[in-house]
Amino acid sequence: MTWTGTGLLLRHGLRRDRALVGGWLVVLLGVCYASASATASLYPTVREQVSAAETINASPAIVALYGPILDVHNVGELAMTKMTVLYAVFVAIMFLVVVRRHTRTDEESGRAELLGGTAIGRNAPMAASVLEGAGIALALGLLAAVVDVVGGLPVRGSLFFGASWFGIGLVATGLTAVACQLSASARTCAAITGGALGVLFLVRAVGDTSIGWLSWLSPFGWSTQLRAWSDTRWWVLLLYPVAAGLLVALAQTLRAHRDLGSGLVAVRPGPATGSPRLTDAISLSVRVHGPMIAAWTGAVAVLGLVLGAIAPNIGDLLDSPAARRMMERVGGVGALQDTLLTAELSISAVVITCFAIAVVGHTGADEQDGRTEQVLATATSRSRAFLATLLVAGVGGSWLLLVTGVATSLGFGASGGAIGDSFGRILAAALVQAPAVWLVTALAVASFALRSGWTFLGWALLVLFLMLGQVGELLKLPGWVIGLSPYGHVPKMPVESFALAPTLVLSGIAAALCLGAWGRYRTRDIG
Amino acid sequence: MAAEEATRPVIEVRGLVKRFGRATALDGLDLVVQRGEVHGFLGPNGAGKSTTIRALLGLLQVSGGVASVFGLDPWRDAVQIHRRLAYVPGDVSLWPNLSGGETIDMLIRMRGGNPEQSRREELLERFQLDPTKRGRAYSKGNRQKVALVAAFATESELLILDEPTSGLDPLMEEVFNECVAQHTEAGATVLLSSHILSEVERLANRVTIIREGRTVETGTLADLRHLHRSHVRADVSGAMPELNGIAGVHDVTITGSSVSCTVDPEGLSPVLEALTRAGVRALTSTPPTLEELFLDAYRVPGGSAPEGSAR
Repeated sequence: MTWTGTGLLLRHGLRRDRALVGGWLVVLLGVCYASASATASLYPTVREQVSAAETINASPAIVALYGPILDVHNVGELAMTKMTVLYAVFVAIMFLVVVRRHTRTDEESGRAELLGGTAIGRNAPMAASVLEGAGIALALGLLAAVVDVVGGLPVRGSLFFGASWFGIGLVATGLTAVACQLSASARTCAAITGGALGVLFLVRAVGDTSIGWLSWLSPFGWSTQLRAWSDTRWWVLLLYPVAAGLLVALAQTLRAHRDLGSGLVAVRPGPATGSPRLTDAISLSVRVHGPMIAAWTGAVAVLGLVLGAIAPNIGDLLDSPAARRMMERVGGVGALQDTLLTAELSISAVVITCFAIAVVGHTGADEQDGRTEQVLATATSRSRAFLATLLVAGVGGSWLLLVTGVATSLGFGASGGAIGDSFGRILAAALVQAPAVWLVTALAVASFALRSGWTFLGWALLVLFLMLGQVGELLKLPGWVIGLSPYGHVPKMPVESFALAPTLVLSGIAAALCLGAWGRYRTRDIG
Repeated sequence: MAAEEATRPVIEVRGLVKRFGRATALDGLDLVVQRGEVHGFLGPNGAGKSTTIRALLGLLQVSGGVASVFGLDPWRDAVQIHRRLAYVPGDVSLWPNLSGGETIDMLIRMRGGNPEQSRREELLERFQLDPTKRGRAYSKGNRQKVALVAAFATESELLILDEPTSGLDPLMEEVFNECVAQHTEAGATVLLSSHILSEVERLANRVTIIREGRTVETGTLADLRHLHRSHVRADVSGAMPELNGIAGVHDVTITGSSVSCTVDPEGLSPVLEALTRAGVRALTSTPPTLEELFLDAYRVPGGSAPEGSAR
């Protein structure tokens, strides 16, 4: 009885998600196919393939991001190196979005209550979203295998690779289901899931670059250790459903111990009166985003410490001939450490941009839900309301870059790096990312200013820029297309030296976009 | 200047037009709210009540016509106007992680008031609202109370209330009515949009009824009643008189010695004469209820007699 209506909800869920999931699948599978088909033509001979794979393995920066290539003689593993770990994170995020929107988001908005009043069983909503997650994961895994085969990769390896995405989908579904039991706030639940995915990615990065066994603690590590393309350890495939099953069982137990709409963690009563400082749109935005800023500050501090600590320990990886050759080419261990730091800080900048886009997204939701209307019906001017979002997104993003820089330097120093002058160098390398973060934030703000419902464009642009940076060269896209991504124009400090021109141009474009957005926001209809 | 301020309407809207793309939400709407009155703003769903209010708050740029609040332009002088008014939206949405008390104090401060010198505590008591709950934990009615407490806590010159009681229970509606009365006694002007006709009947001095973005009727309730039919029921001892022939008489139903009909104001005299001649034993004449005014106004533009509406 408590499961009644699961099928109905499943169909309803798939209907609601068809555009979102469809779009996401197209992007993921498109990149998958492109990588599969481009690699063979990019490295036509086995010699070139081996050399490319060894170069990847020799670069700790790349290994930290994508994981190592365990069999350098297999073109499949080379072709799918980015897909196996980094893109598996994007796979996981899709399941976070899907499972959360049908469980916690519906509870928070009261839609679950509306359904609960009909002949729908108590367990049906979660069962339906878990089933939907599993179904999408299966479809994604199969399609990924198909596009790999079409792209010219071996059938057997493609199937195992597809199975690893299927597995990641299952684990992400379970993880989100658990997180959505913990807090009454859908935003907090997303933060918990996102944080957990970040930790799992980080644990694997540390495992793949220094402390080997850590990789086995993370599903993202399993995907590499599966060895999908040769000497497959098929039993690794069992880890995903077992982990997912345990997580779903845990979620179900937690669900049974709480009421609809409430979290496992009881909400503490708030203050009966407002702080005298809570007087305008800006203090409101700071107050509303306070917990989020604190959580992000903690997260990027840990991220920075860990990533900083990896850099001095890359010596372990440098015992192959290819690695030594590469080291000589770039100019010694110090230069190799710098390459790693550059790659880490560049990825941190993309991650921190997510914070800023989320802030803009909240402003869009505030307007659509009618909260902005209440603020603008007081003595708050449009300009001040606009400034509130811009400040929290822009200054918040810059603050997070600062924290990243400081934490990375400290981590670098703590694990034996030459801290002395490195502190300033690493901090500068983090802060130099700011114009790119500002520019993408400004694009999100401009989308919001055009129409309050268009804040999703900020996310779409971020994904686009990330893709251009990741696979643009692989796909042999024209230089100007790849150049669209602001992240590519940031001076690659500390490897390169600071350059004023790109910094000024990126900041200038960001400022111009914000000015235009401000003009538009002042004169458009609210709501 | 001060005298002019005192006689000028607080809200003056003439021929207001608002288009959203191809759809026309307001199509030449007129609305005049005089200082110190409670003005009922009535209309069916989608008639344009909230759009009008949002135009008055400067949240929407109008496509045509003129609107003024306190003699100022709502679009240009929004901040100046908003210092002097309090607004309660129809569907109150709160910040999920802010407590009710924080939200109330913040809204008061944003209007330039001081919560510590306001009637906040008294109102929390009267509305029986717990200010320590988080925004997401409040029910619809309690969210509305948060917005009402914030609005009633200070002495605003103008209260704009968009269906403010739709989530309140009858007890709380009573508190709401008292609050509105207190504010009008203190000289406040109130624009009250509502579906709840009895509420408007009790509170409003004048009403404006709109339909499809146009003003259908406006005036005092007495005026509006005068324009509409009364319901007459009578028992006669003699032969049933022929009422159908009298101008302004409609919907005649005869059951034995009883007759009921609806009568336009000009038809009342001849009907009474005819009934008296037939030896009237019992007579009731009910003025049209607001519901009937409402239904009349909705059905036929201009509020003239509805065709074949038997009531």
